[in-house]
Amino acid sequence: MAQPPPPQRTGSVGPASAGGMGAPQSANTPGGQGQGGQQNLNQIVLEYLSKKGYSRTEAMLRRESAHTDANGQPILTRFDDIGGRKYTKAFTLVQNWIDNILDIYKPELRRVLWPIFVHFFLGLIADFFPRDAEDFFQTFKGPFENEHEDDLRALAPLNLPEHVQQSEIGKLYRDNRYRITLSSMAYMTLMQFLESHDREGGSLITTTLNTHFDLRSVDRANAGGARGLAKLLADRNGDADEPAEDEGIPGHNAGSANLDRNAPTVLSKLSLGPMPMESDLMEDVKAELQDLDASNPPKAGQNSLMDEFEERIKREPMDDVPSRDTLPFPPSTARDVAMEVQKVKENRDRFRIEGRDGRSGGIGPGVSVTMFTFHNTFDTVNCIEFSGDNSLVAIGTAESYIRVWSLDNQPLVTASDPAGTPPPASRRLIGHSGAVYAISFSPSIAIPTNDHADSPTSPDSRPRYLVSGSADKSIRLWSLDTWTNLVVYNGHQSPVWDVRFCPHGHYFASASADRTAMLWSTPHIAPLRIFAGHDSDAEALAWHPNGAYVFTASGGGDKTVRMWEIVRGSAVRLFTGHTGNVTALACSPSGHFLASADDRGEIILWNLPTGRLQKRMRGHGRGGIWSLDWCVESTLLVSGGADGTVRVWDVQSNKETQGKAISEGGAGGAAKMDGASGGGASSGVAKSKAKKDVVVSPDQISAFPTKKSPVYKVRFTQMNLVVAGGAYLP
Amino acid sequence: MSVWNSENVIDVAESIGITQLNRDAVDHLARDVEFRISQVLEEALKFMRHGKRTTLTTQDVSQALRLLEVEPLYGYESTRPLRFGEASIGPGQPLFYVEDEEMDFEKLINAPLPKVPREMSFTAHWLAVEGVQPSIPQNPTQADQRNQELAAKGPGANPHLAAVSGNDNVSVKPLVKHVLSKELQLYFERICGAILDETNDEYRSAAFASLKTDPGLHQLVPYFIQFVADKVTHSLKNMFVLTQSMLVIAALLENASLYLAPYVPSIIPSVLTCLVGKHLGSASQDGPTTHFALRDYAASLLSSITRKYGPSSSTLKPRIARSCLKSFLDSHKPFGTHYGSILALTMIAGPEGVRSLIVPNLLPYDAHLQRGLKDDGKREQAEYVVNAIMRALETVEKDAAETGALQQNGYPEGEVLKERLETMLGEVIGTKVYEIGRQSLTKALLETAADI
Repeated sequence: MAQPPPPQRTGSVGPASAGGMGAPQSANTPGGQGQGGQQNLNQIVLEYLSKKGYSRTEAMLRRESAHTDANGQPILTRFDDIGGRKYTKAFTLVQNWIDNILDIYKPELRRVLWPIFVHFFLGLIADFFPRDAEDFFQTFKGPFENEHEDDLRALAPLNLPEHVQQSEIGKLYRDNRYRITLSSMAYMTLMQFLESHDREGGSLITTTLNTHFDLRSVDRANAGGARGLAKLLADRNGDADEPAEDEGIPGHNAGSANLDRNAPTVLSKLSLGPMPMESDLMEDVKAELQDLDASNPPKAGQNSLMDEFEERIKREPMDDVPSRDTLPFPPSTARDVAMEVQKVKENRDRFRIEGRDGRSGGIGPGVSVTMFTFHNTFDTVNCIEFSGDNSLVAIGTAESYIRVWSLDNQPLVTASDPAGTPPPASRRLIGHSGAVYAISFSPSIAIPTNDHADSPTSPDSRPRYLVSGSADKSIRLWSLDTWTNLVVYNGHQSPVWDVRFCPHGHYFASASADRTAMLWSTPHIAPLRIFAGHDSDAEALAWHPNGAYVFTASGGGDKTVRMWEIVRGSAVRLFTGHTGNVTALACSPSGHFLASADDRGEIILWNLPTGRLQKRMRGHGRGGIWSLDWCVESTLLVSGGADGTVRVWDVQSNKETQGKAISEGGAGGAAKMDGASGGGASSGVAKSKAKKDVVVSPDQISAFPTKKSPVYKVRFTQMNLVVAGGAYLP
Repeated sequence: MSVWNSENVIDVAESIGITQLNRDAVDHLARDVEFRISQVLEEALKFMRHGKRTTLTTQDVSQALRLLEVEPLYGYESTRPLRFGEASIGPGQPLFYVEDEEMDFEKLINAPLPKVPREMSFTAHWLAVEGVQPSIPQNPTQADQRNQELAAKGPGANPHLAAVSGNDNVSVKPLVKHVLSKELQLYFERICGAILDETNDEYRSAAFASLKTDPGLHQLVPYFIQFVADKVTHSLKNMFVLTQSMLVIAALLENASLYLAPYVPSIIPSVLTCLVGKHLGSASQDGPTTHFALRDYAASLLSSITRKYGPSSSTLKPRIARSCLKSFLDSHKPFGTHYGSILALTMIAGPEGVRSLIVPNLLPYDAHLQRGLKDDGKREQAEYVVNAIMRALETVEKDAAETGALQQNGYPEGEVLKERLETMLGEVIGTKVYEIGRQSLTKALLETAADI
């Protein structure tokens, strides 16, 4: 593949001087008799036509003959033939145009630039203009550095045509259509502009739009919300440049996982209610609660446990609960009864974190955080996990083993311990042959022994199993009774990034670098479901509290969060909007919200029933938010990350924001606030400062820094105490 | 222009026996190498992220190579960061290489085994208690976190947080009005007005009664503490304001529905100021000795604070005791300061503290005391100090009597006793103790001396 020959511009270009009329014949003679003859022939024909009065035919001939040079070769005046520079020209053209366009179209049209940039760059590479490609890249990457840092880093080294298909991002953009929605006026303006500038590069852009884009136009008035004029005016001052919810590579009808262009706009219905209790279990629990009420009558002002239980059942909506028949679980045991009873008890006794209305004006609820700091780790700890009963803590290390400690200094006993030696205070679980990236305890609940003394058959509620996923592509199940490996689950083709036990036990799910997530049940060594669809590694995983759905998130070029239905194994929701790699996911205990966090320090709240973005929250420094968790009442979110802070967030939408009807998202809180207050000189200062510093959105209730300890795990206990784990890295 | 040097490719080609390589091929290969390296790095970054690290290690790279089904490079695994050396191969042409130490086998074998790395362990501490970060050694100090953006700024941010964490600047203060309800603001203003109203006793006592009993004041606590701190720092000359400030703190402490533990560190400085401040009130207006009453009150306040919150903060008592001892030992400070610190030490550290902190320092202090007693202007003040010391010594007596640790006999009497006491306690105090002539007291003190 060689660069095409440079255009020959010896001949005249414009039609005015063309036609060979003014061109002296003598100049062309060196070309040979044949050419001279043709020139003469043209002359003769033209004369003939003008004599006959065929003026239109004559004009046509003049115009057409203008594009051949003296030698009869066509002159390369067409835009497409100037080689690599055509992309630069076309991009400059559209960029300048968008910069100078009316403000009401600007935010929308600016979104078009990034995919055009990528496709032009890939086009340059594919057409083998490495030098032009690099110039192009350096010249135009500026505006995208903020939002697409990762993508730019991935694109930069591309420089040979074969790389386009081999690199992940190139393949992603080439093989998919980038979806962008424009309001109809903006769409029309863009199209008109491109048509009128067809020759200066418009055609190139039109072609790119046709082949690689999925452009939609919506009516601004009808779309409302995120596209409304109010939102636009609010965004104008702040440079809140965020992708729209339905923008991106797996463009979708906001929320819906149906990627079809003509997909119906209705969303599939979700069953977000809690899993109904087995009838036998319910009877047992009721009996147990009655016994407890009888033996420990409730204090004054306290509900009886039975009332509490009834109330909980009553509150549950009956229409959107998953069916127990479709998701089989093993029959309940005495342990399950004890755990359910304890849940009811805790539900009554816990320190409540109520909603905004319950609070006294403006002060967030006081959250208490216990921090467990690991020392002498030499940065080998990959993950920390606390058991549901707060009795155990486990770490997975880069050195392929798992280590479990007791949090309350109890020895970890087994039946097979040799007599005489004291049981060790910690246990190592050795078996993996690669770094351990995720561990998860089977569900458990702490049952205080003192108020259970009256029931002699108090079943053991400790966690009994642990699953772990590793870089050796396997998942292992460990017994916490014997401290040995029970099962190895092979199935993933690449390192396993995350494993999570189902909230009801028995099942667990895994996410892997092979771009799939899988559902397993502990007694089967083969996966029950494979959730495929991510265009990049499935990096994080979370369960819906009713156990009927699984969420996965991806990084790389994909950056989407997907919601999968367990029973059918299909995607039911898809969320786009992250600009970094998603590092943590957590679904609210109420079952209606999902929080996802990325390594750019942004947390996004999603509304599951509508599939829409609820709000964005910023505050964490760069480097990843490693863990998220919700309080039991679903009113607070807590996060911990690489910047060594634990932060508490208000999940309710800002009332002020809603009042102004700016958008349901309240996107870009702090940036917008800047804009709203702007106008004075101070806003300019604030803005330039904000670019350097991390902007903290006002949704943050508090932030607690640690001493040089990145926080790997945060967890709300059943009693609304936050437990955090991190490694001290001096 | 590729980053990867095409001459490198030629070198590699020559090393495997290909001498003639087309320029285009070299160029192509160099570009390809660059792309492959970046591919590997992209994968390696993923491993770094899942290892929850922010630095890339050689291990990540070899994991990435394995994932891309390339044979990993062995021999580069290290937990320590690689050190790069720099050598020059010509002007402006630096060459970087990994510094690799040459090891002598003989030495390596005979070297003592390296230290076993310390066992991994974990510790637990409170990162936050009810939304406030306690200032304990495990948590970073405010100086450490200054360069971190922690609280939200700008309109819409919650200024209450800033007030709590002490970042409450003057510019932020007006924002308070947006958070507190109208009623609370009004309440706050009224209370502050009433407390400082010298003329209306009834009004004032009503304000204190309200502070003592009202259950809904939690939001105002930081503001009251701020108010007290302001008043104490700005009106050191005004005895009335200082006394009222102490009364506000006492009232807050008395209020059963307030949880003051997180604010103790901010209360202590104000109280200490009223206890050991150099010049409290003005002698011309209030008389030379009125400030001792204030110091008495502050001392009792301090002791009640330490009694209440000492158990929850292990460093509270030692910190206060240390600062009191420091001001006691500083002879340049006026007698009032010494009086306050002796009082506080007696109350906080108890008889044990008197024995180990005050008694051994009495002898050097004696000279200062004598000078004070001789000076007419200072005599009255010095006498207060003497009384305070005597009271401190009496606690020792009481303690000794309670524990029954006194031996019954074997102590000198008369002039010998006086001399013993004087060498131990200094002339002034020694004489005083001797004059009192209570057996239990002298015995307890001599016992103490024997211990020391």
